[in-house]
Parts: sequence; structure tokens; C-alpha cells
Amino acid sequence: MKGPGGDLELASPCQMKCVLVATEGAEVLFYWTDEEFEESLRLKFGQPENEGEELPAVEDQLSTLLAPVIISSMTMLEKLSDTYTCFSTENGNYLYVLHLFGECLFIAINGDHTEGEGDLRQKLCVLKYLFEVHFGLVTVDGQLIRKELRPPDLERRMQVWEHFQSLLQTYGRLREQEQCFAVEAVERLIHPQLCELCIEALERHVIHAVNSSPERAGEEALHAFLLVHSKLLAFYSSHSASSLRPADLLALVLLVQDLYPSESTVEDDDPQPCPRRPRSSQNIPMQQACSPGSAAPTRRSSAATDTDSFSLPEEYFTPAPSPGEQSSGSTVWLDGGTPPTDAPQIQIAEDTLQTLVPHSPVPSSPRRIFLDASVKESYCPMVPHTMYCLPLWPGINMVLLTKCPNTPLALVLYQLLDGFSLLEKKLKEGQEAGSTLRSHPLMGDLRQRMDKFVKNRGGQEIQSTWLEFKSKAFSRSEPGSSWELLQACGKVKRQLCAVYRLSFLSAAPGRGGPHLPQQLQDQVQTLMQEKLTDWKDFLLVKSRRNVTMVSYLEDFPGLVHFIYVDRTTGQMVAPSLSSSKRTSSELGRGPLAAFIRTKVWSLIRLARRYLQKGYTTLLFREGDFCCSYFLWFENEMGYKLQIIEVPVLSDDSASIGVLGGDYYRKLLRYYSKGHPAEAVKCHELLALHLSVIPTDVLVQQAGELARRLWETSRVPLL
Amino acid sequence: MATSTLTEPTSASWWNYFFLYDGSKVKEEGDPTRAGICYFYPPQTLLDQQELLCGQIAGVVRCISDLSASAPTLVRLRKLKFAVKVDGEYLWVLGCAVELPDVSCKQFLDQLIGVFNFYNGPVSLAYQNRSPEDLHAAWDTFIAQVLKNTSDLHKIFNSLWNLDRTKVEPLLLLKAALILQTCQRSPHILAGCILYKGLIVSTQLPPSLTAKVLIHPAAPRHQRIPAGGGALQEHGAALPANVQIMPVFLTKEEAISLHEFPMEQEMSLAAPPAGLQEHSAQHWSTSAPTENATGHVGSAAWTLATTPEPTGPDVAWPDGKGENRRLPGRDLENVKPTRQHSPARDKGPGLRGSLAREPRLPWAEEEPDLSEIHIPEARETGMCPGYFALPSTCAPDGGSPCFEECASDSGSQEPKPPDALSSFLSLSTPEIRPQNGALERHNDLPGDSSPAPSPREDRLPGRTSRPWSWPCSDSRQEGTMLPVGERGTEQPVGVRDSRSTPGGSDLAESQDDGPSADRNDPRSAPTSREGLVPMNLYTHDVNGLVLSLLAEEPLLGDDAAIEEVYHSSLASLNGLEVHLKETLPKDAAAFPSRTYNFMHYDRIQNVLTTNLPQVATAQDRRFLRAVGLMHSDFARLPALYEMTIRNASTAVYACCSPVQETYFQQLAVAARSSGFPSPQDGAFSLPGKAKQKLLKHGVNLL
Repeated sequence: MKGPGGDLELASPCQMKCVLVATEGAEVLFYWTDEEFEESLRLKFGQPENEGEELPAVEDQLSTLLAPVIISSMTMLEKLSDTYTCFSTENGNYLYVLHLFGECLFIAINGDHTEGEGDLRQKLCVLKYLFEVHFGLVTVDGQLIRKELRPPDLERRMQVWEHFQSLLQTYGRLREQEQCFAVEAVERLIHPQLCELCIEALERHVIHAVNSSPERAGEEALHAFLLVHSKLLAFYSSHSASSLRPADLLALVLLVQDLYPSESTVEDDDPQPCPRRPRSSQNIPMQQACSPGSAAPTRRSSAATDTDSFSLPEEYFTPAPSPGEQSSGSTVWLDGGTPPTDAPQIQIAEDTLQTLVPHSPVPSSPRRIFLDASVKESYCPMVPHTMYCLPLWPGINMVLLTKCPNTPLALVLYQLLDGFSLLEKKLKEGQEAGSTLRSHPLMGDLRQRMDKFVKNRGGQEIQSTWLEFKSKAFSRSEPGSSWELLQACGKVKRQLCAVYRLSFLSAAPGRGGPHLPQQLQDQVQTLMQEKLTDWKDFLLVKSRRNVTMVSYLEDFPGLVHFIYVDRTTGQMVAPSLSSSKRTSSELGRGPLAAFIRTKVWSLIRLARRYLQKGYTTLLFREGDFCCSYFLWFENEMGYKLQIIEVPVLSDDSASIGVLGGDYYRKLLRYYSKGHPAEAVKCHELLALHLSVIPTDVLVQQAGELARRLWETSRVPLL
Repeated sequence: MATSTLTEPTSASWWNYFFLYDGSKVKEEGDPTRAGICYFYPPQTLLDQQELLCGQIAGVVRCISDLSASAPTLVRLRKLKFAVKVDGEYLWVLGCAVELPDVSCKQFLDQLIGVFNFYNGPVSLAYQNRSPEDLHAAWDTFIAQVLKNTSDLHKIFNSLWNLDRTKVEPLLLLKAALILQTCQRSPHILAGCILYKGLIVSTQLPPSLTAKVLIHPAAPRHQRIPAGGGALQEHGAALPANVQIMPVFLTKEEAISLHEFPMEQEMSLAAPPAGLQEHSAQHWSTSAPTENATGHVGSAAWTLATTPEPTGPDVAWPDGKGENRRLPGRDLENVKPTRQHSPARDKGPGLRGSLAREPRLPWAEEEPDLSEIHIPEARETGMCPGYFALPSTCAPDGGSPCFEECASDSGSQEPKPPDALSSFLSLSTPEIRPQNGALERHNDLPGDSSPAPSPREDRLPGRTSRPWSWPCSDSRQEGTMLPVGERGTEQPVGVRDSRSTPGGSDLAESQDDGPSADRNDPRSAPTSREGLVPMNLYTHDVNGLVLSLLAEEPLLGDDAAIEEVYHSSLASLNGLEVHLKETLPKDAAAFPSRTYNFMHYDRIQNVLTTNLPQVATAQDRRFLRAVGLMHSDFARLPALYEMTIRNASTAVYACCSPVQETYFQQLAVAARSSGFPSPQDGAFSLPGKAKQKLLKHGVNLL
């Protein structure tokens, strides 16, 4: 948890972080390190003795260093049925968090005190979730996911890793800077009229336009939404679409932020510049003072090469704009430029300021992603979708989600895989052996469906695997042993995963699979730009001042900040906090703002920690602040329901969050068991008060605040 | 003590494994892991399992150390957590249930290692000189005692096992304190504590030392070969009945702390954590205004040492000291300035300037060096910073100015104490001066001297108070003339009897002699280990009432001194034991009906006060769980000082300050609640209730 010194950390993030995914055999499936960590590795391995020799690749260094830990954790698992979850060194200088997902061991390391165990575990869970979003059910099989994460082709492997490294970096940045990612809930841009206008446009000019187009090649548009930076402006789903989980929506925001990072949320001293990212070079001198590595100078030189040198001094030393006349990088953008329409091109403007403007947003190629949905009335996780991210202007993006024509296959495969997994579980428990298994109703049903599946689309391999299984499971003469059955079961599962992989990943839109024609994409993009062109400046400013604390100060004296979350819809409301040095909020952008931020973030952490341990109310005084956290359930009408004992989770349980594990969904389901008759809603309120406020006043205020926010949230916007 | 007979540890669900592993024995590929296992608990663990745990954990620890440049202190699994300590080639590992807070797990390991070192010296040496069976038995005994005496509460705080003082007649506690003070008058004796059936009645020792004395070694130790390398000679004469004297090893910090302000370290359970204390403060306020200052810090207990002599000035002095001690950081800093303007020092109109300065003047010039050597050390140690604060105030050179500064810092400075003090100080001055100056300088200067400067001054209070409270000081005077051990010849005991004086000189000496321990140490464990200081532990067991005294090494050879201690305390101990036996058992079933649970943890003395019963109900367990969680956060977040948490079945309030943590839970069934913020929610009225209800337990949260 960041102490009072947190603001310093914010100013000059000293770093030392690493994430590693490895197989049981210590083969690296993925890694990410920051520069400092890589540097420390370099020091460990020393300079190569001969000039010609090169240091081993980072992945090999990591594998060498961590192999003993990985192998030991597998040994412990085997011999002790228990395995490592966490290491910490003196004073918590280094923290290692280990989490086993299936056959892959995820390790997160922090050596700079900025992340606690919860943060690291959450990072791992999010990474695992991102793998699922990208690879769907292929993640079920250890060998196949290995092929995806570690393609034999080095160049392809670098691409995959860079992609996830960038996502992880973006996630880390958003979690540190955006309240919505700190609490893992979607933040909406609050402007009812505009929202309505957008929904209408999305319906008519996007979803309908696509679905009625003859060129759509079997793709069906399901959802479309507009994002201003990381905030949701409007969301529209077609009638045939099932609803999108809050976790999935949040993941999509993350993907968009990774593709088109908002200027103001990108740390200027981001230590791993990624060429795909448009970034501005403002404030470089300031960063240089505190940035640890050599990143800043090099970036300055690169900035100098592609910008007008006359503009440099002016731009670099432009005093920070006052809170009143906010000019973030994005507004600079908007002052003069006509919105870029299609092709990638460098904007050359007369204005010197604009020479700093990065590349205009390039429409990215469509991506295959896997989201939970219901298909044919039944719930199906990781259904393949195609995501089109259409940038309207920098900071404003439209996302279109389509489903491909062979979606029903995903459902069939999921159900079969699910059946075999259940079978596997029963076999492992040793409940059902040979004969009883055969007569199990589950088995008969599974056999029937599998037979049908194999007949319809069976390849050679799956056919023979299935036959082998059947001979072991159903042969009356010599039924196979449990162990044999398990083996056979595993093989069938692998074959099913392979079919899934072939159908949805190999033919992904990014790899030349079917997708909406470019022309159709351009059409909806242009249409939306036209609709919003008068609003764009407003939207960009509004997104920074979505909710202001000023409007609450009078009624809630002593209240410094709050976050209100509706966990049923996965949405949150909070006054804006400045997230970077360039933009400012009411608190300005100085140490005070940074201090409040660290307080809010530490409140979020502590609230999570206590919720994990089953406490739904937390109130604590620390320094000059009093922090409070409340979680409660209510019905649709707002009637407060009685609180229940919330499950107490172990320290190594998946994090309390939405992106990795969707804790609140489980919590709601758990609560609803006791209230089958009504729709249960779950809310959270986090509040930060000055510590001079007496407890009763504070609690009174929190109640008032929650009621008021509930009222406003009743206005339907989506 | 009842526990001493227990040798086979009984297993506890929260304490899964403990082992000591010597990595140097397993270097080559072919070396079996078992060769490195020095001790493994539980002993019935299959050897394969032992090897698995030792091998895997040692391997992982090495790997993590390489990667992060510091060794892991905690290794957590899903169902277990291991506290780890690396000491050169040795690896100590304690495996506990995951429910135990991380902090506590590490503390238990530290405690266990501390106890082992205390009785057996550095581990490398012990394993060189003594049979594995012997050490095995030692470990078994330690673990058995820890497990037997550690309740659910102690588990969280790893606090000392103390007598519930609410069940003891306060006068008895005062009496115990008196006994200790009397003993301190005998030669060699530094400080001690009194235990009854394994629980603390009164102690003058810092908590870390008390914790070690609370646990006893397995066999009668005077039969053992001292691990220190035979520094002690076999003691010819028989010891008095029920008395044992054994060699023990203190860390440098502990040794220093013993020599400084023995008086003030005294803690007696008679002192209620906060409430009573304030009481007493008022009581004494006329004579000792400084007391108030102590009060505000809240650890009244230290002051209690003085209660036996209720006469104003006497009491006041130690208190004042205690007060100073509370501000370690500042005090240390103060030292420097003072030293720098040494001229000012001389001018300094110290409270007891006349007294303090005169004897010291001769070597005042040398001081700067001494202090320079000394102070940094004190800082490093940091174990009980409190103790080091004082030295600075009394740094030889500028004793008086220092004190003033400190006092003003603390804001408690009042005009009165100086007068009172100086007046009574002056009385004692003549007596002390000569011995002090001459002797100490002698010993300290040549020696490595680190502790020397401060102890000298520290003694002042002790010295002064003694004459007052103890008319029998003559006896001491006699003692002065007695040659004591080898050193005694040069050294009039009188100096030493004035507790403090011996402190300084002895420490210096022990460091000179100390080589036996110190030098051995580096040889075997050349790493970072600090040298241990050999001392003697005198224990006298009267039917479960145990007087434990730490003494300078020569005690074992000094029959006269032993006799003196024995006779000066025997009668009082017998009396105390009878009284305790009579009063204690009666109250066994207390707390007829509780409406609330509370737990008050004194961070300075490391003791707990609570009304929780032995057998925990469901609600009690909820309380304990909440306490464990919050305690971890208080330890982690220094700015956190108040916390209320609630779930559907309970609400717990906690608050803390630098000196204490208090937890409070109402037992009444919580009313139906939604968790929605509402002032009617009982959870938010807990702070008020706690403040009100706990007053009668002597816990003042106001």
C-alpha cells in the first residue's frame, strides 16, 4: 500500500516488475519485464566474456533463474498436494506471487513496493483472462495453448508476446490511473441527451446498417458502443444479442485503450515505448528529471527528428495549463485538425503545436475475441466474436462486435468439452468405474452428442480418438481402467479443442478469416463521425470532468472523494481525479491531488482485502483522513436487503475483482440463492472524508450520498 | 515450572513444522539432504517428507535470494506458511497454518531462534560443541513450552505470558518488584524477573529478554558444557537448594540495555496499561511532574518499578527517565548537537550538572570518541530503541544539557523536577563520585567501549534512588570491599552494587572477555551474526515461583555473591509464593457473563490484557479472526490508527497508538442490518462503548 510517500512514487515511478508464464517444465510461455528488471537480469548475467558472445535472451535468463522455483512448486504439488503461492523477502522488498492455472504456472514479481500481493495476484488473473479473451476454449488444453502462446516461429512468437506485453502494460497503467480500472467497473460519461442521440445513431447507422448490408459476409453485428477515453458514452445491442458481461465490456475498453491509448493516460515516461502507440512528447524535460532509465533522452531525440525543431522549446516548456483552461494532448488535437478519415497519414498542420501531433488513428484490423454469451438460449462461455475498433478521433472510439456464422459450433464444442471435463472429474474422484460409468445418464447423452458431432464434421483424427475412447468406456468384454479412461478422455478433449482452434483461431479475421469488408467499416465510421463532429470537443473535455466534486461539497461537508459502484451492472460513478501531470481536476495536479489519489487507491485495496475476508463494512482512520467502505444488497425497488455472511476466501484465492474471476457475479449468484423471488442488486460505496468528521456524521453522509447516487442511476441511459 | 518436565512436544494445529537445516553439509551432488537436517519437528515426520521439505525450501530460498539479492523471510503455500531465516549456511524454517498472520509467524521463528541462542550460544558453535541429542532435547523443550503456553490470543501477538494482573493483589506485584530491586543490589546481578507457574509476575527485563527467560532449557544447565567455549569454570561449591546458575548468551543490544537504566526497565504487572497509571501520575505529580509525560505515552508499566518507594523524588527520577526513553529518535538526535557544542556542555546548567559533571570532567575530552563509537551502534541495534534513548540523554559529556533538551522536546519539562532531583541527587553524590569516575574510565577507555559512555550516566538514577529507598545501603558498602572474581579485585563492588556502575564497566569488560564468545562466533559463522555476550542466569525456584536474574559472568564463581542474592531474596520469595498460591486459584473462573470482548496489547512491554475465556465460542473466534487481520494492518500501515469492520455476524472496533493496540467487540447479537451506511448501525457506536467499558479494565482510550 502506498504510504504518504506515495506521491513521490507517482512522480518518479521506480520500477522492478516482472510477469512470467511457464509450463511445468519451466518452458517460458510468456514473459513481461520492465526495463529495470531487465537491467537487473543483465547485471546478474554479467557482460559476455567474449565480444562476440551475446547474452542469453531475456526469456532464457528468466527461465534459468526461475527454473528451480517452478520445478520445486511442481514437486511440492506432486508430493505434498500443496504448492507455493507467495514469497516475500525482507521488509517486503521483493514480492513473488505464484498462481497455478491448469498446467501453467503464472509468476508475478515486484521489487519496488508499489504492488501488494493482492495487486500481483490480480494482475495474473487478468493476464489469464486476457489469454481467454484471445484464445477462447483453447486455453483449456495445456498443449494447444502452448502452441498459441509460444509459436515455434520466432517472429510470430515475438508478435504474440509483444501483444500481451503491451496489454499488460496498458492494464497496469489504467489500473494505476483510472478509477474505473482500479475498482474494475465501467465508468459512463454522464450526459443523458448526448447518450440518447448516440444510441439512436448506433442503432440506426451502425447495427442496422451493417446487418442490412448484403456485403456483411455472414457476420452479424451484435453490439456497438462509443468510448471517450476509457469512459463509456453509449452502448447499443441488437435485439438478437445476449447481454455483454461487465467484465467483457471492461476487457474491451482495455483492448481499445491498448490500440489507441488516450493521450492523457499514457505516462510520458512510459519505459517501453511501443511503436504502435501514438504518443506525444510533451513534458519530456520534467520527466527526465525523475525518470530512472535512459528512456527519456532517447525519446527526446526521436521526437526531435520527426517534429519541427522550432516548436520544441515552446512545447516542452509550456507551463502547465490552469485547471480552468484545460488543454490535454487531446484537445490540442482537436483545435485545428479535421478528423482523419481513413488511410494512415501523418497530419501536417500549419500550427506549430500540431507538429507534435502523433499519427492519426489508424483503423486496426478486426480481431477475434471470445466473450461469454448465450447461444440458442443456453449460456456459453468464450463465444467467438469479431471486434472492430473504429477510431473516430483521438480519444473517441467506436467498437463494433459481430458474431460469425459458425457460432453454434462453439456452443456444441463447449458442451462436449464441458461433458468430458465433468467425466474427467468423476474419474479423478474415483467415483465411477467402468460399468457404472457406462450406465451414467451423463455418459449416454454425451455419447449420443459426440457420435453426432463426429459424424457431421469429424476429421480422421477425432474419429479414431473417439473410437478409442468408446472401446475403453463401453466395451463389455474388457472395460478400461480408470486411468486408461482418463487418458482417453484427455485425448478426446484435446481433439475437440483442436477443432475449436481450427475453426475460430486459424480462420480468425486477423489471419485472413472472414470479416466485414473495409468499405462497410469505413461507412459506419464516417457516419458516426458526422453525427458527433459537433460534440467531439465537448466530449473530450467532459470525459475529464465527468462528475465534479464541487456539486457535492455543499451537501456533504468534509467529504473529499467517493466511488459508487453498481455491481449488478458493473458500472461506477466517481468524481474525476486527475490522472496525469497534464490534466488536472478540482484538486489541481500538484502533490495534493496525487496524495488524494494514493489515499483512494489504498482504500480500494484495503476494502478488497477485507471483503476477501468476509467483511462488508470497513471504516478506518489513517492520518488526516477517514475512509469508509460499504457493500450492500437491495432489490430492484431500492429496498435494502439483509446482509449475509460473505464467503471468507484464502489469501491465494483469485482476486476480488471483475476482470480476473468476476467475483461480484459469483457473489450475486450466492446471495440470490437466498432470494430466488427477486432480482438482487449489489452496491458498493467508498468514501474519503476528512478525519475531523465524527463517525456518525460520516455514516449519515455516506447513506445520503448512496441514496442520491441511486436516484441518478435510475435514469435509464442504455 | 510445570512445563520443564515436558520434553516431547505436543502437536498443535497451527504449528506444523520447524526445522534447522545446515546447507554446508549438503554441498556435493551426492550429499544426501538428510545430512543437513539438524533438527526437525515434528520428529515423527517421515524422513522422506523431512528431506522433501528441507530440500525444496532450501532450494527455493537460495533461488529467491539469488534473484532478489535478499533472502525470503516468508514462503507461503496454499495450506501452510513458512517463516524463513537464513543465517550463513544455516536455514531456520517454521511452518505454520495459513490462518496465522504473517507477522506472527515470523515473530515465532525469531523467538525460537532467540531462545536457542540465549541458552546455547550461536548455533554453529552449539552444533560444534554439543551432541545433537542434547540439542534435540533443547529444541523439543522449547517448542513444547511455546505450544503449551500459547493461546489463540498469544498466537496473534506473540506476546509474553503474563499473570492476569486483575486477579492479583497489587501489593503482591509491588512486593515482587521489590524483591527484584533488592537482588539488583547484590554484586554482579543486573536485572531479573519473577515468574509464577510460567507467567510473568514482575520483570525488569526488556520484553525480548523476558520472552527468553520465560522458556527454560531442558536439562539442568550447570551440568552442561557451556557453549561459549568453556569460559566458565566448573563451580566447585554446591549451590543453594533450588538454585541454578547457567551460562546464557545475550545479544549485544540486550546486554547494553541491561546495563542501562536497570531501574527503569522494571515492569510490573501491577501497572494497569493506562488508566491506573494516570492515577498514579496525579499522585506523584507534586514531586514528579514528569510522570505526566509518561502517562501520555501510555506505557505506565515501566514506572511501576518505582512504586515500592512512593516517596516523591525517588519515584520521579526513573519516571522522568522512562519518559525520555519514549522518544528514542529524538533523543538520539539530540546527542549529536550536544556533543558538538561541547563547550556549551560544560557551561550547561544541568539539573544535576554539579553531580554529573564533576566525576566525569577528567575524561570529558575523550568523550567525543567514545560517544561516536557508541551511538551509531545503538542506532543499528534498534531492537528496543527505547533503551537507547536514555544513554544519549546522559551522554557522559553533556549529561545535563542533554537531559534538558530531551525534556523540552517531550514538552513535559517543568520547573519542578530539576529542583527535586538535584536536591536529592546531591545527597547521593558524594558516595558515588569517586568510584565511578576512576573505575569506569579505567575499564572503558581501553576496552572497545561501545556501551561505556552511556551506562555510566544511566546509572545515575539508580544510584540516587537507592540510598533513599534502601536504608540498608550499608550492606552494599560492605560489598564494595569484597573482591569479586578476577575483576572484583580491582573493582570495589560498591560501584557495581550501584547497579548502574557495574553495568558500564562490566559491559566493557565482557566485551574484552567476550572474545570467548565473540571471537568464536565469527570463526564459525563469519556472516553477519552479531557477537553474543555471555552472562549468567541465576534461577531460584520456590514451588513454581521462579526468580530469574541475569548477572555478570563472574557470579558463578563468586559464592559470596550467590549467597547474598539467595539470602536477600529467599524469605520474600517464600512469602510471595504463599500469597500468590492463596489468592490466585480462587479467581480461576472469572468473567461470569461478558457482554463484550476486548483485547489490549501493550506494544512496548509485549503483553496482553483481555477478558476472553480460555475456550472460545463462535463469536470469540470471529473476534480473533478480525483481530488477526487488523493487527497485521496496524503493523503494516503506520498511519492507521482506528478501524471498524463488520460482517453479518459481528462488528469489531480497533484502535492503536505507538504504544498499544486495543480491540473491542460487543457480544450482543447484532441487529438485522443491511450493510447500507446507517448511523443506527451498532458497529459505529463501538468506539464510544469501548472507551466507556474499557476504563474499568484500566484501558484508557479517551
